[in-house]
Amino acid sequence: MNNQIMLFQTLADILNVNVDSINDDSSSDTIPGWDSQAIISLVCELEKRFGVEFDILEIADIRKVKIIKDLLKDKGVIF
Amino acid sequence: LFDVPQAWPDEVANLVKKVVNSSGGISDIRRALKAIVSLSKVQQGPKFKLGICRTFTLETQIDALRLGLSTIPCRPNIFVGELDNIEQILLNGNSQLLQAEPDAILVLWRLEELHPRLLFEYDGMSSEDRELSIISIIERIEKLCVEYEGISNAPLFLSTLPEIIDYKIMSDVSTSYSPRHAVLRINQALFDLARRFQNIRLFDLSGWVSYAGRKAFDIKMDLYARQPISNASLISFADYLSNTFRSLVCAPAKVLALDLDNVLWGGILGEDGYNGLRIGHDFPGNIYRRIQLQALALKNRGVLLVLLSKNNLTDVEEAFSVLPDMPLRLNNFSAIRVNWNEKGENIKNISHELNLGLDSFVFIDDQKFEREQMRFYAPDVHVLNASEDPLANLSALMNCHLFNSYRVSDEDRNRSADYIAQKQRKKLKSENGDPKEFLYSLQLQAKITPVTDVTIPRAVQMLAKTNQFNVTTRRHTEADLTRMLADKMNTLLLLSLSDRFSEQGIVGLVIALGDDLSKTVKVDSFLLSCRAIGRGAEYALWSSLLSCLSQKGFQTLHADYYRTNKNSLVEKLYEDFGLIKKVSSNDECYEFTLELPSYSDSPKWIEIEKSI
Repeated sequence: MNNQIMLFQTLADILNVNVDSINDDSSSDTIPGWDSQAIISLVCELEKRFGVEFDILEIADIRKVKIIKDLLKDKGVIF
Repeated sequence: LFDVPQAWPDEVANLVKKVVNSSGGISDIRRALKAIVSLSKVQQGPKFKLGICRTFTLETQIDALRLGLSTIPCRPNIFVGELDNIEQILLNGNSQLLQAEPDAILVLWRLEELHPRLLFEYDGMSSEDRELSIISIIERIEKLCVEYEGISNAPLFLSTLPEIIDYKIMSDVSTSYSPRHAVLRINQALFDLARRFQNIRLFDLSGWVSYAGRKAFDIKMDLYARQPISNASLISFADYLSNTFRSLVCAPAKVLALDLDNVLWGGILGEDGYNGLRIGHDFPGNIYRRIQLQALALKNRGVLLVLLSKNNLTDVEEAFSVLPDMPLRLNNFSAIRVNWNEKGENIKNISHELNLGLDSFVFIDDQKFEREQMRFYAPDVHVLNASEDPLANLSALMNCHLFNSYRVSDEDRNRSADYIAQKQRKKLKSENGDPKEFLYSLQLQAKITPVTDVTIPRAVQMLAKTNQFNVTTRRHTEADLTRMLADKMNTLLLLSLSDRFSEQGIVGLVIALGDDLSKTVKVDSFLLSCRAIGRGAEYALWSSLLSCLSQKGFQTLHADYYRTNKNSLVEKLYEDFGLIKKVSSNDECYEFTLELPSYSDSPKWIEIEKSI
């Protein structure tokens, strides 16, 4: 599974939405289930699946697909 | 972690194992839960409602807790109260959580929220201030226990405060106070409270933290969302939690069936001779000695030991009598099958002899062949994950939660002596022809006493554990019984039995709830421990109940029978007692009536002593 698909699949699993409904512009504004609880779950699941760790101040940014991608890229995940 | 029920199909079991191996990814957990929900209700187990009050966030971790509980097995429903609302929820009968009528309530708390200054600013506090702070927390918890008693019957599990995992605090031995003092003092108070109050129990969070260690907590998520329990140790936490509640959901196992060669000693008796066996204080005999001590400890808690070995009986008897440093002796076993039959056959035979269902047996054997054969021929027997590695067998016994039970009573401790006496009784039975003659020869004595505060725990224990001779299988709590006792129109009687072989202690209970206005009385529960079946003791209890009820002036008695998959034994009990069965198409529940006053014969071979 390439990283783009894995990212979208993780978001879909945690946010309980169809993977096709997720794109680079998705965010907590466009997906209703993307609330503060979902962010905690996302941090856990992304860290596990990509084998990375987010810094504490980065967690608050896990609200937009684009930003998540940038954070993952910084940690060496290739998109 | 997570002992998957043996009856679950492989594909579901594998999904659960995957969660354990991946240390709890959220989507793996959800997938496993989904698969479990698709199982039959019987495979999923009984419903279990758990309420949680807490001072920290758990919301995203609830699915893992549900998964842990599901593997007991049960169908868990978890209600989580608002953050930090402990008294607001538990002392308000109308709170949403109490209205949900949970089967148990868990309180999770820690010093961080209960008294942050004691943890973070203790250096700046005066010793008097610290002392008053600690006392205030203990008083708060005690007040909660006192007031909760009048509000809910659900057992309340208070967590001990977690150990403080802080290297600086732990290594600082020079100070006269460290937050660990506070934790120790409060936890000591919690242990005392759990002993004092019937409905208060402990969830040993501190114990779990010691077990899980530094990885128990995740400071990042604690600071970000006040979610301290780390996802890395979440599965371990869920496992610990489910083991705490296991005995509320299912009856504990009652029998440990042990293989002999390479389990209780190292080596094979038939090949090595007893001189060649490894057992004793030195390595490697010490491993087997520890296994024996572990089995003996279970026996002292009321678990019956049985021996299943393919050997010559005389060789085994000789080895047991000759070998020094053997904690176990042959008379510690309630049943012995040393022969060349299949172990599945032997265990079925023992199950019949002890009057205990196969699902209350746990089996340990180093040979895979024997384990698989047992799984095949007696699938209800719990087969431990043993192996040819003796240390693995020791761990399997140490980590086995199937015997967990909350309160160990004197009846439990004596049980195995009693089963051994029962064997002698059976032997006598096969020698004497006429069953009545046998019963007379036992010199049975029955004692009928009212339930009192002192005997409530034993009564509740029987309500919880008795499955076969139990007409309604109502599992009342200690608080329920206390409430029933408060009403003088209710009659709660206990039956104790003894015979010339042994004292069996309290083995029977009847609960009859009376209504003064209508002069009717309803038999709520009638049960006999399976050790006491077959002696006519039920008639002694019933006739005592009838004379008691007639004295109280009741005119009509109602009784019912609720079918479970274990109590067909007592389907006809009330008819045998002479009650009139109401016509009903419902096969699951029968209703009966009897006009009072009435009198019932008690068997002549039982001498009855009443102190009602």
